[in-house]
Amino acid sequence: MNEELLSVGIDMGTSTTQLVLSKLHIQNMASAFSVPRLVITDKEVVYRSDICFTPVLADNRIDMQQIQTFVVEQYQKAGIQKEEIQTGAVIITGETARKDNANEVLLSLSGFAGDFVVATAGPDLESIIAAKGAGAHTYSKEHNTAIVNIDIGGGTSNLALFASGELMDTGCLDIGGRLIKVDQGTHAITYIAPKIKQLAERRGIELALGMVVTPLTLEPIIGEMVKLLEESVGLRQPSDFYDTIVTNKGLKLERPIPCISFSGGVADYIYKEAVGDVFQYGDIGILLGRAIAASPLTEQMTVARSAETIRATVVGAGSHTTEISGSTITYTEESFPIKSIPILKLTRADEAGSDEVLAQAIADKLNWFKLNNDLQRVAIAIEGKSSPSFAEVQKYARGLYKGMAELLEREYPLIVIVHHDMAKVLGQSLYALLDYKKDVVCIDSVQVDNGDYIDIGKPIAGGKVLPVVIKTLVFH
Amino acid sequence: MNEKDLKSMIESILNEMVGAAPGEQGAAAAATTPTAPTAAPQVVKPEVQSAGLMQTSMPAETAGKAGKANRAEGQTEGHESMSAQEQTVEDNDDYLDDITEIDLRKLLLVPEPADREGYMKMKEKTPARLGVWRAGPRYKTITSLRFRADHAAAQDAVFSYVSEDFVKEMNLVAIETMCRDKDEYITRPDLGRQFSPDMVEQIKKHTIKQAKVQLMVGDGLSSAAIEANLRDIVPAITQGLKMYGIDVGNILFVKHCRVPSMDVIGDVTEADVICLLVGERPGLVTAESMSAYIAYKPTVGMPEARRTVISNIHSGGTPAVEAGAHIAELMKTMIDRKASGIDLKL
Repeated sequence: MNEELLSVGIDMGTSTTQLVLSKLHIQNMASAFSVPRLVITDKEVVYRSDICFTPVLADNRIDMQQIQTFVVEQYQKAGIQKEEIQTGAVIITGETARKDNANEVLLSLSGFAGDFVVATAGPDLESIIAAKGAGAHTYSKEHNTAIVNIDIGGGTSNLALFASGELMDTGCLDIGGRLIKVDQGTHAITYIAPKIKQLAERRGIELALGMVVTPLTLEPIIGEMVKLLEESVGLRQPSDFYDTIVTNKGLKLERPIPCISFSGGVADYIYKEAVGDVFQYGDIGILLGRAIAASPLTEQMTVARSAETIRATVVGAGSHTTEISGSTITYTEESFPIKSIPILKLTRADEAGSDEVLAQAIADKLNWFKLNNDLQRVAIAIEGKSSPSFAEVQKYARGLYKGMAELLEREYPLIVIVHHDMAKVLGQSLYALLDYKKDVVCIDSVQVDNGDYIDIGKPIAGGKVLPVVIKTLVFH
Repeated sequence: MNEKDLKSMIESILNEMVGAAPGEQGAAAAATTPTAPTAAPQVVKPEVQSAGLMQTSMPAETAGKAGKANRAEGQTEGHESMSAQEQTVEDNDDYLDDITEIDLRKLLLVPEPADREGYMKMKEKTPARLGVWRAGPRYKTITSLRFRADHAAAQDAVFSYVSEDFVKEMNLVAIETMCRDKDEYITRPDLGRQFSPDMVEQIKKHTIKQAKVQLMVGDGLSSAAIEANLRDIVPAITQGLKMYGIDVGNILFVKHCRVPSMDVIGDVTEADVICLLVGERPGLVTAESMSAYIAYKPTVGMPEARRTVISNIHSGGTPAVEAGAHIAELMKTMIDRKASGIDLKL
């Protein structure tokens, strides 16, 4: 059995908006004599859109109308109908995520793009998606090494660290190619981002609006930006400005990182020389790329070639956001897709005790999800046990059942996500406790954490598995 | 090849592995080779210790005695050789660490691997004994002993019985095939699938005619598998079937059970679906692996292709509880679609 999922990825970034279509291949990898084990075996990008500027209205709001037109055009060009799209993600990144109507645009666009196209936002997710699109996680797995991918865009540099295919950490710095803008004709500075201005002042570098610049006069400030990038991956001790330049958090840097890859618009000028005027885009992107290429970042670290540069984020959104659940799961309702459910992940201590302890922990922590005393829908995530006894499964079921009482009162379906392979029996146990009257969705083999959201799509592969997207929804 | 020949062949291979010269077999080896077995532990001991595998060291003489006990196996039969080993331990007034408790997937004996992490990653993905290194052209002692230990566990699983207490505890209806003992069970597969007329009456008495499902349990080739998994899988199946409104009646326990015995039960009970939980032929990875053979209206003489199999049910494979939940759903599908085996397209 081989099934295909058509997936769309849409990236609304600071400066550009793009779209890709990917095919995800799903196969049962288990032998005919065992329980099924469906996995995504291959991901291929089948269509890449034009790159358009993110349309912004006069009042600094995102122009939803134009983006929809763009999506319709691209679907036409690719020769597909919206109904054929089975999964995918819209990600809103950088400056665009800070616009007033970001949330609204994101949600309506995800609905517009397809039935199970999920809305995502957040700097950590952005780093992860870009790194996966660039192929950093695959590189770290194949070479059994640690690698940091830096996605350098117009406004930010998103870092994601992978070791042997596993995500270790993420970080983000306010360093990008469009933080200083230069007039293409006169080469006079037209914009300086506040943090860069501050950096120049701190370092005594002359930098002012209207100043006519050459690559040589910009060298000191760009040099300082590159130094901060070196600090972010541990090649240099953090300077006094490092904490200021960090957007939300940096990498933890417990061990030296041997390899590095680059994605984002600036990455093109790290991997290859630019043709023509260095100010052709009206910014310092080309010069920044050049400076990185000549820095210890490429000299002291092994540079891995990215699979994607400027399209890394959109390819990541299209190809690397959808996962599939374990193949032995329980769901008793068919009201999929279930969208944007926040996750409550319990601690090991919560799970280790009796069912009463588990129930109490859930009941207490559900209060975190109350807005104006009104409880939202919440999915409960537990670690579970590998090869549990039936008695242990019952303990989990009783704890979950009691703890989720408040959700049941509100007629919400019980959504349980367990890491170890036990979702089918746990789901059936819960369903029995509910006297087969309330709905249960219990899936396994998915890793989630507090702060994540989950979207669950319609069953695929003959109903054996559910496509899921684990994501964040953070607007700055 | 009969079973005795096979056994002596395996023993000769094992003897070679623990250090006896090739060609020496059984009793002959015990008499003539005091030196070889002590040599191997001496080579191995410091490395084993430095790898931090054993909390206490294994004295060369203990290992040597264990080696002798091993070779005594030629004179004794299966189980007795185990007691010979236990005897050695008691004689010593000391104890040996249980080497079967070492997780082989985490044990790398290659002294200076170029990429330890890479090797361990590879080992994580397979139960195959990779990276066992060598002593001269042979396996190291720890590898040989572990092989013997796992092999012994496999033999025990085949030759032991599911305890009567366990059958009672699980509330199973005990029946047996035409085989009189384990030897006959091993050598006469045809008898392992037949029941005496008395037994057929017993089955009729304790089962419901034309039930939706009939569960049965068979010792098969591993009694250990049954004792390890049944407690967890039976309630999971029962709970799962209850969800579909299907009741599980009495569960049969078949001693000396071969898979096609389920066909007889099918004919006798006329149940829609028969599910047989049976101990799998043990291997060196685990002796506790169980299979579920499930068929829609099985009948004597039907093609094997009509059976659906879920294999590899054990703590390191598919967890028993999860397999049980899956089996319940599978049986429901079979009832709905009136098919099993290759006729049932899933």
